[in-house]
Amino acid sequence: MSGALILLATLGSSLLAAVIIFLLPERAFRARTGLNLGAALIKLGLVAWMVWGLSRGGEYAVEFPVLEGLAFVLRADPLGIMFAGLSSLLWLFTTVYAIGYLEDSPNRKRFFGFFSLCVASTLGISLAGNLFTFLVFYELLTLSTYPLVAHRGTAKALAAGKVYLRFTLTAGLVLMIGMVALHALAGDIRFGQREILAEFGPERRPLLVGLFWVLIAGFGVKAALVPLHGWLPRAMVAPAPVSALLHAVAVVKAGAFGIVRLVYDVYGIELSDALGLLNGLVAVASVTILYGSLRALAQQELKPRLAYSTVSQVSYIVLGIGLFGPLGTIAALSHLLHQGLMKITLFFCAGNYAEELGIHRIDELDGAGRRMPLTSLAFTVGALGMIGLPPVVGFLSKWYLGTGAIQAGLPWVIAVLVASSLLNAAYFLPILARLWFRPGPDHGVGAWPEERRLGRLETHAWLLVPAVVTALFSLMAGVLAGMPFSPLEWATGVANAEYLP
Amino acid sequence: MSDVLFAVALSSALLWPLLLALRLPLKAALAQRGRPPAPLDGLWCTAPLPALALVLGLGEGTLALDWWLLGGVWALDGTRGPLLAFTALLWLLAGIYARGYLAGEQARAVAGDGAAEARLTRFALLWPVTLSGNLLLLVAEDIASFYLGFAVMTFAAYGLVVHSGTRDARTGGLAYLVMAVLGEGLILAGLLWGAGSAGTTTLGGLREGMLEAPGGAWMGLLLWLGFGVKAGVVGLHLWLPLAHPVAPTPASAVLSGAMIKAGLVGWLATLPLGEPGAGQAFAWLGRAMLVAGLAAALGAALYGVCQRHPKAVLAYSSVSQMGMITALVAMGLVAPALWPALSAAVVLFAAHHGLTKGALFLGVGIGEHPPRLPAWLLWTLLVLPALSLGGALASGLATKWAFKSVLYDGGHAAVVTWLSLAAVGTTALMARTLWCQWQGERQAREDGLEPLVAPMPLAWLATLLAALTLPWWLGEGLATPGGPPPAELPGLLWPLAVGLVASVTAWGVARHRPLRATWRLPPGDLWWPLARAWQASRRRGQACLARLGLAQGAWVAWWVARERDAVRALDGMTRGEAWLRRHAAVLMMVVAVGLALALLFSAA
Repeated sequence: MSGALILLATLGSSLLAAVIIFLLPERAFRARTGLNLGAALIKLGLVAWMVWGLSRGGEYAVEFPVLEGLAFVLRADPLGIMFAGLSSLLWLFTTVYAIGYLEDSPNRKRFFGFFSLCVASTLGISLAGNLFTFLVFYELLTLSTYPLVAHRGTAKALAAGKVYLRFTLTAGLVLMIGMVALHALAGDIRFGQREILAEFGPERRPLLVGLFWVLIAGFGVKAALVPLHGWLPRAMVAPAPVSALLHAVAVVKAGAFGIVRLVYDVYGIELSDALGLLNGLVAVASVTILYGSLRALAQQELKPRLAYSTVSQVSYIVLGIGLFGPLGTIAALSHLLHQGLMKITLFFCAGNYAEELGIHRIDELDGAGRRMPLTSLAFTVGALGMIGLPPVVGFLSKWYLGTGAIQAGLPWVIAVLVASSLLNAAYFLPILARLWFRPGPDHGVGAWPEERRLGRLETHAWLLVPAVVTALFSLMAGVLAGMPFSPLEWATGVANAEYLP
Repeated sequence: MSDVLFAVALSSALLWPLLLALRLPLKAALAQRGRPPAPLDGLWCTAPLPALALVLGLGEGTLALDWWLLGGVWALDGTRGPLLAFTALLWLLAGIYARGYLAGEQARAVAGDGAAEARLTRFALLWPVTLSGNLLLLVAEDIASFYLGFAVMTFAAYGLVVHSGTRDARTGGLAYLVMAVLGEGLILAGLLWGAGSAGTTTLGGLREGMLEAPGGAWMGLLLWLGFGVKAGVVGLHLWLPLAHPVAPTPASAVLSGAMIKAGLVGWLATLPLGEPGAGQAFAWLGRAMLVAGLAAALGAALYGVCQRHPKAVLAYSSVSQMGMITALVAMGLVAPALWPALSAAVVLFAAHHGLTKGALFLGVGIGEHPPRLPAWLLWTLLVLPALSLGGALASGLATKWAFKSVLYDGGHAAVVTWLSLAAVGTTALMARTLWCQWQGERQAREDGLEPLVAPMPLAWLATLLAALTLPWWLGEGLATPGGPPPAELPGLLWPLAVGLVASVTAWGVARHRPLRATWRLPPGDLWWPLARAWQASRRRGQACLARLGLAQGAWVAWWVARERDAVRALDGMTRGEAWLRRHAAVLMMVVAVGLALALLFSAA
């Protein structure tokens, strides 16, 4: 199969699935499930094929002109395919989880239709070859996520959806203004053509700096940088699979990925460093990391605590970008994957507690480890990874961030990392202590808020398996970090390509 | 061939405890119906056996694994070997002891007591996991594995501390966890900074890199304090006296005997000890360590003799002993030339303290459940390890002679004097422990005697034997066999004599004029004021946060109000339009008349 065809097939598989799902009637449960899983598997297979092809020197690209001097470009480079691999892998688990989660609930057709549209846009973002294509899919992602956030239709869900739209649409507008200005200045910049901006004379430098921060403001809303993070904790009212999608797979990651593309493939890391942009990014990321952790500490409910934890953890990616040097880049790129694996595990588990036992508040978790041992084990793995303890992948991110900070000559960043680790421990360890060491309803103390026995296992198998599998992935990706095709190895390869001429 | 054998032996030593831990939930799942299985069986006790076989059978070797974390390097050498040997032995004997100690709980669990079963399962699961972490940190040469072992041991041991689930246990567990997390943070900072500067992933590379890196001494300070939490450096020792008394006795024994040595292992692994090119900054760090060590050695002894619980006294004794070890390690920075000889003494000290303190802690349980032995024999056996820790005989005497001779030869007589003063304190602490035990034992003897041939007394006796004969079986290079020459004995034994006289005097005075202290010195000293200060500052912080939240709410509300104003302005336009529509005819008339008038006047 030719390179262009395989790219279009990857993108088309979810688009087509979305269209067919909208055409199917609401009650066609089996057909919809089969279609969802089939599309997810096919996409994962195609992306795996491209990973294999890329590692052997293959090329995948397709483009056609839209206007004079503006083209729609899709291209699979190592960085893009890394993000595509992450999102299609996690997508499979999220689909399985969503099918189990939404069993017997209304409006499943609408949900899964937009769900597929969402993955199509995420894939488009990862495979986009220039800013214009990126922006098209980025906006599509915004619009296709809104129905998912507001899915429940309650007043709270609608309000959260409204906040979400306000933030993201404004950001999209800012982003478009920035891109148009950049286009007017330098023409159509393909990702990777770093020499175009690097060749501008010193008189254009202030303009470039200004445009950079305009674009960062645009991306920063989805990446939940403080003070543009307000929508993320509000969006917690959405169903658990949507939270997983917002926090681990698509939306927040799309913002972070946009910053990665902007720094590495449009401005180029050397120009960004020369313009002093990286220090600004480090400062913004440090503030976000600490602020997010502090706010997480103050939350009494499980999902908001996880949401603020995301605010903090996603900024590790931005921090890594800001650390000039290969180690910082490895940290940023690998954390893009690592954070996804760990956070999706945590959200799956939070959803399981809510579905099976009706638990929303942290103080209701006492003794849940005895009632739901596998879910709690998965949660423990995710939480320890977030704190940064080996052998979970979070340790590797922290290691590369720390050593990268020394390489970039910013040793004070280590203090930020340690403070964040301590805060992470302060808000995750009490949860773990409650899960495992406090007596709960299964020890004969109190009662669960709303217990439903969803399956023969500790909960519905479709809910349990994805959580356990992603936890295993986070563990194995850490233990076997030295193996080829591990997230760390892939990120190292991309970073080396970035710094070696 | 021997490489392959070493690799197999090492991985089985690390994996066997984990497999034993995994076995429990599997067994429980398989035996869902019917009576619950007893978790602490004979097989469970064998967890440290492969590690013991490794160190006694194979000795030295190296294993490198490229795929493991950041690249794994595990090694066994002249320093690690003896540490691993005494650690594995202590874990083995404490494990056997635990079977007896928790037999009552096990019987209740099998009989169907759900709470006992849950507690016991947790203990049986976390004990081998903690052991596995302890073993890994001893053999790890790469930083990631070392940190992994340290973290696994630290966090799994929390479950052992809070085993009983009482209020005191929760307080002890909280103190343990808070301090441990602080320590982990400091260690992480030191490791990242050092490894980043040196560009290395191994501990050897870290030690060398620190010598040249700018700010190397600050890295050393971070690592010293970070590991110092575990080793009970003064000020960071708060968790020890709170966690030890509440943990089950076998857990206290390994906590005090084996796990706090992990802090020492951390120092040995990361600090550039005995490096002649270490520079002045490191020498200053060494002096700080020396002062802190001696302060801990003396201060803990003074505070410890005021305690009432024998395990709390023993915990303060551990702080005091680790203070002496800290002082010896500090000499590796202050006087690097002494280190090759001194390091052997430090390892011997660690092994001696580990096993002897283990025997003392296990002895506390023996005092509470006395076996069928004549009272004089039981008390002789209980006094022996106390005398050994005071430096009067066997391994204690050998250890004292080992470091004293090195320090005298190096011309550091002042340090020796201070250490001897600390030994006076140790003697007083031991007297206090035995006194506390004596009070409890008389009561226990009236309640009835336990059989002698049972796991508890046998494991205790074996630990005692291993501790006393330590210099003869642990590595020839560490101790001079045969002990010190007789001429040196008075110099070595006077602290014991002074300590005994002081204790007896204090006892005599207290008997005639009972000290009616209106205040009690609680175990955990600084923990209580710090905890109160924390609560107060937390309340203040919450008030601040609440104000901040109000301010944010006001800010958002202001914007929402502006938005409403804008919408109202838009509505106003709509109303204006409607008004225009309604009055269009009149307005047109007015305009037309106006125009006509204007034309008229302009024409005129």
